[in-house]
Amino acid sequence: MKKITWSRSAITAGVAAGFIICALFPENLLGIQSDTSDVRSFFGLSPRNTIWAVAQLHLLFAAFVLGVPIFAVIVEYIGWRTGDQRYDNLAREFIKLLTVAFATTAGLGGLLAFTLFGLYPAFSAYFISIFSPSLYVYAAFFFIETGILYSYYYSWDRLMNRKGLHISLGIMLNLAGTILVLISNAWASYMMSPVGVDETGTFVGTTMDAITNPLWIPLNIHRLLGNVAFGGFVVGAYAAVKFLASRTAERRAHYDWMGYVGNFIGLAALIPLPFAGYYLGREVYSYSPIMGNNMMGGEFSWTFILQGLLVGMLFIIGNYYLWSGMNRIPGADRYQRFIKYFNVILIVCLAIWLTPRNLPLSAEEQLALGGQVHPVLGYFGLMAAKNAVINFIILTTFASFLLYRRANKTDLVPVSKQGGGAVTLMMLSGGLCLLILGWYAGVLFTLLPESIGLGPEKAIYIRIPAFLLVVTMLAVVICVILSLRDRGHLAQVIYVATVALGSVGVLGVYGFVAMVKANPLLRQIAATQWLILMSALILVTAIDVLLFRGARSLGPIRWGEATPRSQYALIALCVTTVLTMGLMGFVRSGLRENWHIYGVMRDTSAWGFTPTTAVMTQMVGAITMVFLVAVSFLFWLSSLDRKDYVSTDSVEGNSRLAVPQNLGSDS
Amino acid sequence: MHMAILKVFSFTLLLIVLFIWSGHRITQISGEGAFTVLGSGISVDNGEQIFWGQGKCSTCHSIGDRGGSVRGPNLGQSIVGPDIAIRAIERANERSVVLGREITATDYLVESIADPTAFLVDGFKDEMPKVYEPPISLNPEQITSVILYLQSQGGDSDLSAVLLPSVIRLATELSNNVEPWAPYIDGDSVAGRELFFDLAGPAPCAKCHIVNGEGGNVGPELTNIAGTRTAQFIVESILQPSKQIAGGYESILIQMLDGRLLDGVVKRETEDSLWLATADGVEFAVSTENIDRRRIQELSLMPSDFAEVLSVTSLHDLMAFLQTLQ
Repeated sequence: MKKITWSRSAITAGVAAGFIICALFPENLLGIQSDTSDVRSFFGLSPRNTIWAVAQLHLLFAAFVLGVPIFAVIVEYIGWRTGDQRYDNLAREFIKLLTVAFATTAGLGGLLAFTLFGLYPAFSAYFISIFSPSLYVYAAFFFIETGILYSYYYSWDRLMNRKGLHISLGIMLNLAGTILVLISNAWASYMMSPVGVDETGTFVGTTMDAITNPLWIPLNIHRLLGNVAFGGFVVGAYAAVKFLASRTAERRAHYDWMGYVGNFIGLAALIPLPFAGYYLGREVYSYSPIMGNNMMGGEFSWTFILQGLLVGMLFIIGNYYLWSGMNRIPGADRYQRFIKYFNVILIVCLAIWLTPRNLPLSAEEQLALGGQVHPVLGYFGLMAAKNAVINFIILTTFASFLLYRRANKTDLVPVSKQGGGAVTLMMLSGGLCLLILGWYAGVLFTLLPESIGLGPEKAIYIRIPAFLLVVTMLAVVICVILSLRDRGHLAQVIYVATVALGSVGVLGVYGFVAMVKANPLLRQIAATQWLILMSALILVTAIDVLLFRGARSLGPIRWGEATPRSQYALIALCVTTVLTMGLMGFVRSGLRENWHIYGVMRDTSAWGFTPTTAVMTQMVGAITMVFLVAVSFLFWLSSLDRKDYVSTDSVEGNSRLAVPQNLGSDS
Repeated sequence: MHMAILKVFSFTLLLIVLFIWSGHRITQISGEGAFTVLGSGISVDNGEQIFWGQGKCSTCHSIGDRGGSVRGPNLGQSIVGPDIAIRAIERANERSVVLGREITATDYLVESIADPTAFLVDGFKDEMPKVYEPPISLNPEQITSVILYLQSQGGDSDLSAVLLPSVIRLATELSNNVEPWAPYIDGDSVAGRELFFDLAGPAPCAKCHIVNGEGGNVGPELTNIAGTRTAQFIVESILQPSKQIAGGYESILIQMLDGRLLDGVVKRETEDSLWLATADGVEFAVSTENIDRRRIQELSLMPSDFAEVLSVTSLHDLMAFLQTLQ
């Protein structure tokens, strides 16, 4: 074990040293003075495809290495607070996988740096000239993360009775990882939205200017949430494979439960992801309308349809897994009848979400369609429709969670008998919703039309979403009161209906009006829709917690009785997530078209063109396959470790924290 | 155990194959990868192709029923108003009041492209980019074509009315500043020679240039070009022919008394006649008494679309051939 640790450390140290040496002596190392080539071939292969494959693989491993610790610390914390050994074992099992994946990620990171230096020397020199200070910080945090990771992993037993300290180590691990993500995101986002550049293309700003470029924050949010979702779905798939290969009921129960937790965390992070994506897209539009338009209305419109299909599949499969899992919950049959309605909603919404608007069409295609867009269905291609349906998809997924959660609960304890804690929870959640909604209502009421490029006579269009926020605030107050008076179910129905009507119905339709009468307002409408939806997630969850606190159980969840199909759903979620990440990586990078650094440094090489969707899917498909095979191999490697963290107790909630046991394995 | 792993692997492979299949179907359906080769020079047709393609105008503007973009004003007959050529007259009148001087409809169109923020259409955001700057970087010739195309939407195109401001030329020069040229693949001078003299090929240079006594006499002779010019200058002249026009080869625009417009390079001129050579290599005489007015153009007669029509390999082959001409 020590030998493995040393080799990992050596790789880490080597990569970090490589970064620093290249930053210190770029001219000598990169041969820039002696070779003025912009681009070099990679043993006759396309340098672009080489970088594409290496960068995407590194990103996938990095997402795993950064997503899993977030997942692990959350799970470990739950285990600590509930005293449930299974959570602790689950967290530990995944940190064990992480130690193997970490070295691979570092190796791929080094490979990416070296291929960039070797194949794109002019670009690398320019890049280092701007970002060299950040490279030292990156290398430093790399060492810090490595140290914390191994301390976290190897101190698990020693700190079993000092969980707070151990979890603090996990949080520090996540902080170090997050800083690494923030730095590398600065590099990637600068290539899309460079700042501090004069009209001749010369960089005249500071490194900090370059780091805090316009797309940095939105990309950070999108990637961090994406990493959590990714981590959850990879855990789910790992559990599914183990479940399918398990020979004992005990192990099936464990991996069934692990798959559920993975899916839960994956879906929870997936829910806000479309909004993070919208925010990123909005900022892309703000930085460069050309890039923005190219994204969804130009060369990349087809890739966005494909992306919509993949994300839609994630939601539908995630929901399917929940519905399927209800078969192993006593009493769930009471709620089965709702599923068909949820299914219809999801499929109709997905169809609307996929409707294109501004595809590049030939004259013949336009003739066949009756115009550039279909006379009726064309409206579904507009952003107003898409914003409405994604809200509905999320609301429906949330409703599936609620059904799953209450499936085996009965004989509720009235909220009025739950004491001051219940009142505090309702007040806090209601207050938070009022704060969020009230804040944005204030923003809209004070928003000057001129500030968003509208004439003063258009002020009335801003008032309507503001008034809707006020109405929603009234609904919050009513629902809090109803909940405290033991009418929690009614409160949930009222609030979900209010949100569906307001966020999806009223603002969905109003979005079309705004597009014609006050186009720039669409952003504020989208933000209003999102905030109203978020308030539903907060308030309805709080009501649900109180409604079912102390309720009688119709029986424990029969872990291990999941259907094989539900496990394949978990695998499909993982594969779809990896494909989506690959596709979005292509879009983000491809949006720069034939620019290394958008508008500043042109890619004048033979490879400075946008590949077709067919080529993209081949590349992304191949990268996905390589990644999944590599991860499977690493999982297998980690299974050679003699320790097995499967809990012997498959009954919900009564296993206590304990040291791991050796149960053998199925392999 | 092994059967379970095999099933999972097959399932995963199936999902990935489905994804790849979707990409292929999309490419088949959409016809991606097939690009339109622009014609050379200034014309309404080229303007149309640029509007709906390289210029990316159509990602914000529709024209009547064509296109589905709504971010910018519809430039055809729509709820916003009549066709842009008609609407431009009205807008030019409003703009004249603001500026305190008369401007034409074409001036309004030119201003809308040169300085999009100057006179915004109500209800639309100030977000139109300057298309002559990166990343779109249309050159003056292409912008002129787009303006001709817009003029043709409800009106007649009139090249003589298009006067681009110097800001477009300056920005184009700045953004298209070519780095010192070095080949990154080896060119084949024999293939380059064939390309040079292939009058039906993508770069029929011999139509206008003489090499060793062979070729047309519209542009400068290139028999010893590599001995007198750097590779940098040659590649720049191919990709940006208007950047530096050789003396005596400036293009001239002539408006005849009957309204016809002619353009070409003046080969010789007498009191009665003027001999023009066109971009097609044709030379013909014009009676000077039928000429209404003439103007030297800033744009070269040489096509400016070689960056689009030549592949990287062809450009290197051509350069390899030209560099043999010592």
